[in-house]
Amino acid sequence: MPEYTALAILSVLGTVAAEILWLRTGIFRTAQYWIAMAIVYFFHVLVDGWLTKLSAPVVIYDEGRITGVRVPWDIPVEDYLFGFSMVTLTVLLWVRLGDRDDRTPTSEETS
Amino acid sequence: MDDRYQYLLLMAGCLLITLPLEFGLRARVYRRPRRLLLSLLPVLALFLVWDVVGIARGHWSYSAQYTTGVRFPLDVPLEEVVFFVVIPICGLLTYEAVGTVLGWWRGWRGRDA
Repeated sequence: MPEYTALAILSVLGTVAAEILWLRTGIFRTAQYWIAMAIVYFFHVLVDGWLTKLSAPVVIYDEGRITGVRVPWDIPVEDYLFGFSMVTLTVLLWVRLGDRDDRTPTSEETS
Repeated sequence: MDDRYQYLLLMAGCLLITLPLEFGLRARVYRRPRRLLLSLLPVLALFLVWDVVGIARGHWSYSAQYTTGVRFPLDVPLEEVVFFVVIPICGLLTYEAVGTVLGWWRGWRGRDA
């Protein structure tokens, strides 16, 4: 397996493990998380599409280190795993920190 | 317009586009700076390590035309550090904004959250 691909898969496993074994925020069971990720992915496709477009790439991948599957446009599929991990990890930490600090709901926090 | 700022401008664009979420959709991410910092720093650290490895192992490289060429130690481009800060911020703003909208929607439907 190409190196970037392997690292990308590992990052997803690590992120999911962090949630299940350690942070336990429960966000994977919320609509809020999945809706947010869907929106993030929409913009991911636009932003990463621009950065990776082979016609004028800003970031250039070594074809030997990726599967070579690029969709849509020229986005390496590995980038989706990278993005999942990066954003999910941030949200996990944010939510975990909030559980600790915002235990008492203020008038702002109650919906 | 100097092409070398393209990546940075794209990142600035992401921050600009998501700014309305902070106030209009009450995301309150920038306004909780300590929580924001504590969420960003571990992710930044982790992904910087990944980036260093990726660059050193030749997984990817950066266009000389569309990046500034400014590098941190271990060859990490300025743009990547910016990326590892901006994208998570946008993710958090999106997450919180969705929460706000869901809260409104549930309020309209008369369901107790």
